[in-house]
Amino acid sequence: MAVPLFSLQLRHSIIPRLVTIGKYDGSHYCVTAATSENKILIHSPHKPEKDISYLNINQKITALLAGKAIPNDEKDILVVGTVGSVLAYNVDLNSDLFYKEIPDGVAAISIGKLSSMKDPAIIIGGNCSIQAFDYKGNEILWTVTGDNVRSIIVMDVDLDGSNEILVGSDDYEIREFKDDIIVNEISETSSICSLIHFSPGRFAYALDNGTVGVYDKFRRVWRVKSKSSVNFLEKYDLDGDGKEELITGWSNGKVDARNSITGEVIFRDVLSTSIAGIVVGDYRRAGKCQMIVISTTGEVRGYDNTSLKVESGVQTNVVHDLLQKRQILMAELNNYTKASHEGHGIPGDTRLITEVSVSEETIDPCVLLKLSTNNSMILKAVTIFAEGIFEDETQVIHPKRDNVSSELNISLIPPKDILLDIHIRAFVGSSVDIDQFHVFELTRQLPKFSMYLLVNYPENEDVLQSYVKFRLVERVQRLDLWLSQNFIVPQTTPVKSDGQHFWKIAIKSLRDSSLTCITFEKEMMSIFSENINLTADIIQSLASYLNLDQIDSLAEFPKVLDDLWRNMQTVKTLQQNSIKLNTSIADSSTLLKNLIVQAEDFRLLNDVFNMEKCLNEIYLIDKQMIQNHQVTCENHEQLLATLKKINTIIQNASRIRVNNNKTEIITTYRQAVASENMTILKKLIESGNK
Amino acid sequence: MVDNNVILLVDPFYAACIHLRKHNYDKCIECCTGILLKNPYDQATWALKMRALTEQLSIDDIEAEEEGIADSYFNSDAIAENARIGTSLRSTPNSCNQRPRTIDGRPLSGIVRPSTSSAGGNNLQKALKTPRTVGSSRPLTSQLARNIRLGTASMVSQMDGPFINISRLNFSKYASDKQLSKLLFNYIYYQQNDIRNALDFAVEATKCCFFEDPWWKVQLGKCYVMLGLLRDGESQFRSALQHGPNIEVFLRLSRLFVRLDQPLSSLDICQQALSWFPNEVTLLIEMARIFEGLNNISMSVKYYRDILELDATDMESIACIGLHHFYSDQPEVALRYYRRLLQLGLYNAELFNNLGLCSFYAQQFDVVTACFENALRLALDYNAAEIWYNISHIAIGFGDLDIAEHSLHLTLSLNSSHGAALNNLAVLQWRKNDVARAESLLNSAIAAEDHLYEPHYNKALLAQEEGDHQTSYVMLKKSLEIYPNHYNSRDILNKLKKYFSSL
Repeated sequence: MAVPLFSLQLRHSIIPRLVTIGKYDGSHYCVTAATSENKILIHSPHKPEKDISYLNINQKITALLAGKAIPNDEKDILVVGTVGSVLAYNVDLNSDLFYKEIPDGVAAISIGKLSSMKDPAIIIGGNCSIQAFDYKGNEILWTVTGDNVRSIIVMDVDLDGSNEILVGSDDYEIREFKDDIIVNEISETSSICSLIHFSPGRFAYALDNGTVGVYDKFRRVWRVKSKSSVNFLEKYDLDGDGKEELITGWSNGKVDARNSITGEVIFRDVLSTSIAGIVVGDYRRAGKCQMIVISTTGEVRGYDNTSLKVESGVQTNVVHDLLQKRQILMAELNNYTKASHEGHGIPGDTRLITEVSVSEETIDPCVLLKLSTNNSMILKAVTIFAEGIFEDETQVIHPKRDNVSSELNISLIPPKDILLDIHIRAFVGSSVDIDQFHVFELTRQLPKFSMYLLVNYPENEDVLQSYVKFRLVERVQRLDLWLSQNFIVPQTTPVKSDGQHFWKIAIKSLRDSSLTCITFEKEMMSIFSENINLTADIIQSLASYLNLDQIDSLAEFPKVLDDLWRNMQTVKTLQQNSIKLNTSIADSSTLLKNLIVQAEDFRLLNDVFNMEKCLNEIYLIDKQMIQNHQVTCENHEQLLATLKKINTIIQNASRIRVNNNKTEIITTYRQAVASENMTILKKLIESGNK
Repeated sequence: MVDNNVILLVDPFYAACIHLRKHNYDKCIECCTGILLKNPYDQATWALKMRALTEQLSIDDIEAEEEGIADSYFNSDAIAENARIGTSLRSTPNSCNQRPRTIDGRPLSGIVRPSTSSAGGNNLQKALKTPRTVGSSRPLTSQLARNIRLGTASMVSQMDGPFINISRLNFSKYASDKQLSKLLFNYIYYQQNDIRNALDFAVEATKCCFFEDPWWKVQLGKCYVMLGLLRDGESQFRSALQHGPNIEVFLRLSRLFVRLDQPLSSLDICQQALSWFPNEVTLLIEMARIFEGLNNISMSVKYYRDILELDATDMESIACIGLHHFYSDQPEVALRYYRRLLQLGLYNAELFNNLGLCSFYAQQFDVVTACFENALRLALDYNAAEIWYNISHIAIGFGDLDIAEHSLHLTLSLNSSHGAALNNLAVLQWRKNDVARAESLLNSAIAAEDHLYEPHYNKALLAQEEGDHQTSYVMLKKSLEIYPNHYNSRDILNKLKKYFSSL
């Protein structure tokens, strides 16, 4: 067990993740945390008499970060994100830098210099959107992303000397934004709840399912998974070797430090309750920083390299490990001798055959993975490991004793259209009764659009009104190759083609059995689909496969436009509702304040009768306010959902063409949505410019 | 004959307009009512009557803004609860005890303004008790503040029900009428003081002019501030400023940040406004007031001096500079400022009281009596107590302790919870060796105003003399809590500590 350098109690319950540290006066570190009463607690150890001060926020705090945002100023400012606003606040001067309403909510905050900007920017991520402000509150960037943002960092990933934004979101993706263009995407297996950067070009991530790992550029170096979930990531050089370790705070109260290159644990400690946050700052005024761990009950512990003592128990550990290893090896040896004696082995030429197909016959249409052996050997059990398909990454198929045979069908339903690696381990044996099996390991790849079935091209083509068309100079053979790489193509391909100028396919989605037709005729590519998301995915996939830098497409999506218009109207009414509800709540709360003061007045005058009257009234208004609040909450949730829909539509619409000035287009979209200019929106979706 | 009559009679609508211009509101309303009886659909007359009714009651709501007890006690708008000293109007710095404090514990200002009476909102019981005993008029909440109290008079005059029934008004119809909408809004806001409906109306109206009229944005902001939705108000004011700088909007924004307890942001906004409107007196006054609230007296006086350069008749500045000189031991200079106020035509008890005090400390004893006589002649119940208290001071200065005691008794008869008077009376009783009375008076002084350190110190001395070291110690602690640098308290405390350790 590690020995903390210092420990103290804040005597407040702290909300997990909402912990930061700042030098608000430019020289003294202050731990800052959000408490459960929607207040922010600032602990200043340099003021022994009044070491704790509070900030009232009055809204649910969702993100908190301190950092330097004013150019040429040593003082840190505090950025507070709530469900409906962001506040940049100068703690030292007790004054706002700016306050902005953010209807999308603020889920993550980062401060840093973006590539093209001179001064640091405050970047916030919310409901499908990313915004950046300068320290005066001017908006300098707005863009959309696939899903709710959970974490944002600013770092130089590709080592080109300027910073990019890394965004982890609820759709399991880590996206790299250069200014506001998505440069890179990494798919993970769960929501990305935390990101932290190491230099150079290395960053660590944590997922909701308890995974922690490190990427070097876009290659995963290592990862570990735990049952409890990660609450906080931080970096700190604990062993004093000049390299920073990854410090992880877990929900079960554990803190550990791992080598950022190998993932090896070098330090471990346990607090009595869940970790709320870990920060690094000089809290002892020792001239160098300590690592400060804060638990949800307000326990604070500080560590530095003196806490990391070489434990005397290490040697016994090694002996224990070696003994365990010996025991395993002995058991294995035992098994082999037994098997050779009894003759239960399998023939040497046994092979495992896999076959991937798309099936509509099963109850839920799905991708069918068929496993079989080439002889009569049976498949006792199969474990399948694939990221993002199953709830816990791995599925074990274990047929009932009577149903065990040499063939096994496994249905897979990938939730998203991404390239997937499936690792299969099959237990193969000669009969059900024996307890020794051979393990076959193999890996198969599921193509990107595996959840789509190639069907025969429909006779009447004019079924769909929504389409995308663009010019494409390419040979048909290349399209065939693209098809075979990205789809599960059955042996008899239903591709209608003359091999030269003419190429037609139709695909059917297994998710909603909608039909999409892709035709290539006279150097003209057309995609007919109701699903704008799928269309966008296909175009992006084509563009990357055929190395196209520019696709200027013509599009027609009447349903999407209708949808957009409807959503915009809903947002308008919802926003009006929320204004009305807010005023009525404010009105009642003033009334409540009056009544409380009056009741107190009557109490001082010993006028019990009137006091009772006042208190009764307070009770009634209170009840009414609670009802009002519920309505407000519902209204807000609807608003969020609708805004998310609009953001998604904008993102998809910008993805149905490929070019370099996506930024500009997204900005125009936003302006058009704000001014409800349907004609511009229509033109934007149809042709990509005003 | 008939024709002559027609010529003799002025057109009633014109008459109404003239009456309005002459601020003859009652007559204007009368004329309008007459016309409306004949033709209830005469929109011009309707609007005129509305305007007359509104102007009858409209007040300068920037100046009259006041925080009520409920607002200050339940205030959760301020972000920092205990901000660094010098960055908040709430944390009164207690290191430099130059000026005496008001009954609420704020440093005394040269002029009584609505907002100077507001306390830190620390003790509800005290806040409720204070107005009842002193008779200072602090409203319960800002929404029901002066505006409505000034407004209640009008209800009587409308005998046949309200002029406009707001709940039956078709908001969207009137909001789109550019001629009427602003008048109607002012009527709802000032005359009816129905902020919620005013807000609903403003929302409709601003939509009708496509969110491009800054006037409506300011009105929306006003409504939000009244309802306590300060942040919404801020965004409206800021968006109004996008259309062009406007002194009123800057002032409202600055006031809003004062309510958020961010005086430095307020000062920042005023500076910004000054870059647009250099030497604007209202902005300078606002800044001087904020500095005074921050207890940064030198800066405050600097701004007041700047104001006097621009507007030599600004009474607030003269009074504040005079007060500053008085409390920085320059009564002669202060006297000059107060005489200037007298020249400007101010003629009230407070001024004569101050003149008397200044001349006393400037050793012009011949006018002291005359001044206080004038002050007492002009005094009303609510300020007579202070005058008698000051007379007691003069009497002590002259060595006439009997008059001093009488004056203090008179003070207490007018205001039974005058802490300083109780304290002084206690000292006088003590000198007469009536220790028991002295002690009870000191106790009531502490109970009346617990932000004074003098009663605590005196009680400590008394207890010390009686040999009650424990009480003495406790009282000294309290005294030092209020005024940490009080030398005498420290001195005795050290002696006591030595004594305790020798035991």
